[in-house]
Amino acid sequence: MTDGLLAGTGVTAPVPAVSLEGITKRFGAIVACDAVDLDLHRGRIHGVLGENGAGKSTLMKMMIGLVFPDDGAIFVDGIRCYITDPQVAAGHGIAMVHQHFSLVDPLTVWENIALGDGGRLDPGDVRERVGEISEHYGLAIDPDARVGDLPAGLRQRVEIIKCLRRDPDILIFDEPTSVLTPEESVQLFDSLRRVVTDEGRAVALVSHKLDEIIQATDDVTIMRQGVVVDRLRTVDADTPMLARSMVGRPVSLRSERAAFGVLDPSVEGPDEPAAPITAEEPVLRVVDAVVHGRHGQASLDGFSLDVRPGEIVGVAGVEDNGQAELADVLSSLVTLQRGHVEVDATTVAAGRPGAMARAGVAVIPADRHDSGIVLDMTVAENLILVDPKRMARAGVLDSDLVRNLALRLIDEFEIQCWGPDAPLWSLSGGNQQRVVLARELSHQPKVLVAAQPTRGLDVGAIEYMTERLRRAAEDGVGVVLISSELEEILDLSHRIVVMSRGRVIGEMGRADVDRDRLALMLGGRAA
Amino acid sequence: MSDSTKVRSDTADQTQAGVTRASVLPVAEIVTLYAASILAALVVSALLVEITGGSWRTVFSALLDGSIRNPGRWGTTIGTAIPLLLVALGTIVNAKAGLVNIGQEGQLLVGGAFGAYVMIHLDAPGTVVFVALVAAAIVGGAVWAGIAAVLRYWRNVPEVLTTLLLVSVAAQLVGFGFKRESILLAPLPEGSATQVQQTVPVPEGARLSRVTVLGNEFPISAFVALALAAFLAFVLARTVWGFRLRMLGRNPRTAHRAGVSSQRYGIVAMLISGAFAGLAGAFMLTGGDFGSYRFSPNFAVNIGWTGLLVALVARERALFAIVIAFVFAGLRTGSGFLASTGVERRITDVVQALLVLALLVPPAVLFVRERRRAASATRART
Amino acid sequence: MSSFVGAIGDVLSSDAAYISAISFAALLGFGAVGEWVAEKSGTLNISIEAMLLAGAFAAAVGYDLTSNLAVGAVFGIVAGMAVASAQAELSHRLPADQFVVGLALNILVLGLAGFLDGELEPVTRRAPRVEIPLLSDIPLVGDAFFGQPWLLYLVYAFVPMAWWLVYRTRWGLEVRAAGENPQSADVSGIRVNLRRRQSIYVAGLTSGLGGAYLSLALVGSFEDSIVGGRGFIAIAAVIFGGWTLRGTVAGCLLFGSVLSFRLSLPVLGYNLNNELLTSLPFIATIVGMALFAHRVRPPAALARPFIRGLQ
Repeated sequence: MTDGLLAGTGVTAPVPAVSLEGITKRFGAIVACDAVDLDLHRGRIHGVLGENGAGKSTLMKMMIGLVFPDDGAIFVDGIRCYITDPQVAAGHGIAMVHQHFSLVDPLTVWENIALGDGGRLDPGDVRERVGEISEHYGLAIDPDARVGDLPAGLRQRVEIIKCLRRDPDILIFDEPTSVLTPEESVQLFDSLRRVVTDEGRAVALVSHKLDEIIQATDDVTIMRQGVVVDRLRTVDADTPMLARSMVGRPVSLRSERAAFGVLDPSVEGPDEPAAPITAEEPVLRVVDAVVHGRHGQASLDGFSLDVRPGEIVGVAGVEDNGQAELADVLSSLVTLQRGHVEVDATTVAAGRPGAMARAGVAVIPADRHDSGIVLDMTVAENLILVDPKRMARAGVLDSDLVRNLALRLIDEFEIQCWGPDAPLWSLSGGNQQRVVLARELSHQPKVLVAAQPTRGLDVGAIEYMTERLRRAAEDGVGVVLISSELEEILDLSHRIVVMSRGRVIGEMGRADVDRDRLALMLGGRAA
Repeated sequence: MSDSTKVRSDTADQTQAGVTRASVLPVAEIVTLYAASILAALVVSALLVEITGGSWRTVFSALLDGSIRNPGRWGTTIGTAIPLLLVALGTIVNAKAGLVNIGQEGQLLVGGAFGAYVMIHLDAPGTVVFVALVAAAIVGGAVWAGIAAVLRYWRNVPEVLTTLLLVSVAAQLVGFGFKRESILLAPLPEGSATQVQQTVPVPEGARLSRVTVLGNEFPISAFVALALAAFLAFVLARTVWGFRLRMLGRNPRTAHRAGVSSQRYGIVAMLISGAFAGLAGAFMLTGGDFGSYRFSPNFAVNIGWTGLLVALVARERALFAIVIAFVFAGLRTGSGFLASTGVERRITDVVQALLVLALLVPPAVLFVRERRRAASATRART
Repeated sequence: MSSFVGAIGDVLSSDAAYISAISFAALLGFGAVGEWVAEKSGTLNISIEAMLLAGAFAAAVGYDLTSNLAVGAVFGIVAGMAVASAQAELSHRLPADQFVVGLALNILVLGLAGFLDGELEPVTRRAPRVEIPLLSDIPLVGDAFFGQPWLLYLVYAFVPMAWWLVYRTRWGLEVRAAGENPQSADVSGIRVNLRRRQSIYVAGLTSGLGGAYLSLALVGSFEDSIVGGRGFIAIAAVIFGGWTLRGTVAGCLLFGSVLSFRLSLPVLGYNLNNELLTSLPFIATIVGMALFAHRVRPPAALARPFIRGLQ
């Protein structure tokens, strides 16, 4: 049994599989990682915990050669290494399962798994190896399936096999459960345990979810603002303590539960979200919507949803079950094969440019770069994207009007930038998100669709965003919260619908939430 | 208002936001990059001249004589710059919409042909003929670009290729027009045995009047072109239409959600682009600096291609295109003086293309550097 | 109408018509095979036209110097690769717009060809036909496919080689990944822009050789209008073929046949309008793309630059 993680106790331990010493990485004025030490040991799962933006991803990227450290040293089995690119990392037996997949959709499973290897391409050999790995770890997969046709859970399986195929000594998992059902997550951690105990590999599990760290890891290192603030054995840790250490101040797990991924019922406070006004007619109705996806299968398959003014409806579900298409429909980006959308009892032509926005549907898209902002335009321009006519006289934009609006919104939403004329690409992700929020709320919407609104934001920004969503609902806006983070849904919603394979498979009021039933439904079973 | 000033001073201090204005513009660096690139293009051109037995000094001197130094030459250069600028302005419109139009040579030719056809067949007072000619040319250019636009949105055919292929078709279409006197061909002059493929000249009354400034003469369309450049710059920067067009070019999905129909705006942008090329053809026909007021199969004489290069160098800035159009026009008028130096005049085509390639380098370098800086500063911890 | 049907019948039963159709299809094939590889990697490489022209010119120079076809061909390849290097380095080392680079290269090479044309001897260089025994005796089409100058036979080798390269080698797998999802490819440890540059070099190689075939075998002399937009038709063949190699070859055969009408129809005694005959290949190409382009899916990252750390 190793004690190496108890740094500073003077206990000598076997040589760690990977040892990071004094790793520092600066980006401009910002220090992403500041003299970080980290040891990964064979046979152990090491959790790296931190809020979004704490520097944990950067740290992992340096281990696999996507980022090169400014200072410090990396030792693999006690030997100093210079990991300049992912190939070198692979040579040292380090591999990573990426948060955003490294898969190429039109290629087959075996082609994807062979991608990035060296040497001659031997399809038979790759297929055989895929078969062996799937069998050994219980990760069944068809090597000739096209990756683009697979659901997110299976795609991650491909990713893991791709990783294991190179027989790495050290595996890094970056936020692996965001695309998995609770059941699949349990399976994943079972496989991980086997990888670690039976085969003596070292695993790093990067996460911002406290529950996950507690359940799956042996050791945990906590990072905050680029610095390691704590390291301990997981058995010695509990949720409130980890949370405190992660944020650097005592926190109420109830109100900030969403940020920590905590489902533990014991930390749930008594104050459930206020019951919504139910008498009113729905402000948004999606009726029997059908949308066909890339390969002809239905991405939305008879989806229906009612949202009343002042109500926050959480659309829960594992990623890739039609949430993106739902958001696209409400952004006028796709047409419906069947069904219709009503706003205020008036049918809105889905897919017609700008129709939803004109009808009063505001959207905070999951990927703002895709349909929320124009990076090459200024902050001011991005703030008037949806309805520039309001800022114009006889078709000519009134620059004073635009500037004043921009200054007002920059102030009100605390957008950090050097002025209304700053190009949007010069803003940080969180501030870009605020630009979207400011614009969408400035139109006095009837409906607000927020798709994965807190993804990639740090705790402060998450609090701000959730507060804004609550306030919008209090002002009488019907809010649709689409999220794969169950905690976020539970934290905010008055009513929860569960989405699986493009349809609603269950619905419950916030007060009637039954976790077991919810978990079952997330797995795709009506309950 | 006091509120807003407070915000500005606050945000200016936010180094955490990553990029401040100063770090976006390392001026000395930019100037050096551009100077080095232009110099490289010129040195390569000079080497080519020397290798083929010419002398770059005499070539340079002849180019200068032909473009601005000799009496009356800068007037001719202005006359040449007019269609170049117009073609470039049209190109800026489609580029802003995110579309690629590289078939201006054909659009200009078709525009000229339409104009010439109307001119030949319309028996009316000069002014009426002029107006009809210009209108027809605009329509001709727009139609030719419109085909590519429609195929792009209706059948998903890449407009970059269609516009190119239509250049070849345009040449044949015009060639066909010169098969018959009923279409474009001028009747055989009495006493002449050889049929020249050209139209009758534009009647006196339908020609653009020419002004003389300091012994340099050019058509008044120069002022029209300048006005159009200013107007276009204004429309793109300040109007709702221009704003939405830019939105479409930069992020079509965001634009769609915000109510910009890519089809409507895209097709209109291509029509305008072709219309500018057609207008360039009309002004060439009526201006006097090209083909002595006659339309002929090789009427376009690379003005479409060169105008396109002007737009590429100007990088979507209408007012900057004025300067570049004049420079490239100078290379062209200067090349007429190269015969005495013994150097093939097409060296100027080479110089132009090399300049375009060289001028691609600095913005590309700066783009990567700027964005990397911003990206690393803002995404430092993710 | 009956004369039109008659013309088709005559064309289909004429050896000479097949010979010229295959000759033009081969020219397009040289360009299109390389272009197909380049497009698979994510580049819509419009400088094929310049590569063909540079290859044609350099091959003529090489042949004049040595009177050796093979040397001419090597000169052609080198020139094609030179154009490819400019396209590759500017658009995939710097992220300059690939269309702008391609267009400028087309104009540059055309200008150079016109500028240097006078330095060439105005002589005819015509590679002899090499008949492949037995195969060239196949009635009607034997000579067309197997009684051609040996330079043409190289395109027969290029097609299966390109297929093997793209679908059966690791390099090809990485090229496809770079064209479909450069971000994922990058994360997997693939040097996306290197693969893209290499693919453009492949296009330079085949097109340079195509240029040599053009000036040394098909036409037999050099003039600056020798390519005349046919490089663009080669690109269109790839799109017409829906980015499959089979479809690309079909496109080359189809468009090559239409190109050959201008030569074969007058020989057969049909005096169609010359302008129509000349523009027919271009119109056929546009119509062909309009009929088929909307049904197929291009490589997802076609014509999108890749810069690590952005996007």
